Amino acid sequence: MTRRISKRKRFVMMNPIIQFFKFIYLSLKILVVVAGGHGGTREVK
Amino acid sequence: MSRIVVLGAGISGHVAATHLRRKLSKEHTVTVVSPNSNYQWVPSNIWVGIGRMEPKDIIFPLEPLYKKKGIEFKQAKVVTFHPEGDTEIDKPFVKAEYVAGEAKGTTEKVTYDYLINATGPKLAFEMTEGLKPATNKAYSVCTYSHATEAWHALDQLIQQMKQGKKAKILIGTGHAKSTCQGAAFEYILNVEQELNRHGVRDMAELTWIANEPQLGDFGMDGMLLSYGSNIMKSSELVEMVFEDRGIKWIIGAGVNKIEDGIAHYETLDGEFHTESYDFAMLIPAFSGHGFKAYDKNDQDITEKLFKGFMIVDADYTPRPYEEWSVQDWPETYQNPSYANIFAPGIAFAPPHAISKPRVSKNGTPISPAPPRTGMPSGITAKLVADNIIDTIKKKKPSLHHKGSMGNMGAACIASSGYGITKGSGISITTFPIVPDFNKYPDTYGRKLGKTFGEIGLAGHWLKLALHHAFLYKAKMRPFWWLIPE
Repeated sequence: MTRRISKRKRFVMMNPIIQFFKFIYLSLKILVVVAGGHGGTREVK
Repeated sequence: MSRIVVLGAGISGHVAATHLRRKLSKEHTVTVVSPNSNYQWVPSNIWVGIGRMEPKDIIFPLEPLYKKKGIEFKQAKVVTFHPEGDTEIDKPFVKAEYVAGEAKGTTEKVTYDYLINATGPKLAFEMTEGLKPATNKAYSVCTYSHATEAWHALDQLIQQMKQGKKAKILIGTGHAKSTCQGAAFEYILNVEQELNRHGVRDMAELTWIANEPQLGDFGMDGMLLSYGSNIMKSSELVEMVFEDRGIKWIIGAGVNKIEDGIAHYETLDGEFHTESYDFAMLIPAFSGHGFKAYDKNDQDITEKLFKGFMIVDADYTPRPYEEWSVQDWPETYQNPSYANIFAPGIAFAPPHAISKPRVSKNGTPISPAPPRTGMPSGITAKLVADNIIDTIKKKKPSLHHKGSMGNMGAACIASSGYGITKGSGISITTFPIVPDFNKYPDTYGRKLGKTFGEIGLAGHWLKLALHHAFLYKAKMRPFWWLIPE
């Protein structure tokens, strides 16, 4: 069954104050994923 | 003294050229060969396609920047590769044909010590009969000029809807093997929001058509992700958004022919259908450029360099889906036959798809090709540049820098509506891009904490912030290198 976006969730999604903090949180979280580094997959330990 | 030639000035080529120039002394030459005079920040084409940005907001001319920074620029397209030189020149070179200026139409043998092929994909519209930008009411947003055409047509349709016309809009993939579903996904959500803004949403039937076997596949076999306190499949996330926006969908569909306002397609169950539309935006198939390569004696050696796209250090042994491994994917993007040739970004030939290959009951392959977005393009270009820099500085071959898409994260901030207070974005990160089923066997090959989705206004701000940050970086403004790829 398809999930729905509830009224409360929609309020949270579009509230500028809540979203400002979400913006900072997301920026940091994405930075962690991006700056988390990258490398090969074939090294034999 | 070394000469590094970079073919292409898109995200990958520009990243490679700028890092090479910054880290190598001026005794070494960095040359960019590109038919395009402008750099374009491709991810923002979506906003040009809905009239919320102008092309000038997402492009800038390359030549003045390169001149200022000491990068040689040739506005030319590469014609042939000669990695051993020829009977006249005892040095590897590419033959390039100038496309602008006084030299237009003339060719030059551009010699190199190291070659970075960052030519990206060819937009293969011709692989779908009748699919051509701004023809048959079908458009593209793959370039800023295509996106401009798309907006003009959409704007006209919006004006007609304001006069009472009911319209059908079709957005998605225009070939059974297309990739880049993410761009089409962004576009359909932005179009939906713009229709609302213009007060004509109820006049339009909006339909998603894609070669994905499930919504949210994105050419990556879908993903299991964290969404708030929930864990859900990307298919559920996209279905939730489409339901919320009133968007219909057709999936497992290989579009094979476009006529004026009609898309013909075959589905995985082997049936043939048509879908009519008043406006369509369909992503074409991507292909290699069909380059030819020759050895010193002018013998054709194309198969040593190309397999559609350029051959690199991937494992190209044909295997069934069940035997695909993350180790098949390249790490250094070096051509195995010629150690001084590299192909980062979209220019390298992937070992295979990421999504499970599927064929229709009629035997037609209908499944997405692997996506390679801006972020991995930038990362792979930088690591190739770093390996060349190390090799030059240490005076011995160095492949210390590695970056497999099976050990690399990616962030996809999909715009789902433009506006500082009314905008929205779907932020999705995934790690790794190519699923590693040995490392993460219980979560579809991906690390759950680093694979997450978020929907909301913050996503739009983030995409807008990245737009400005990456253009700042591309223009090589002060401390540009501190901004990660």
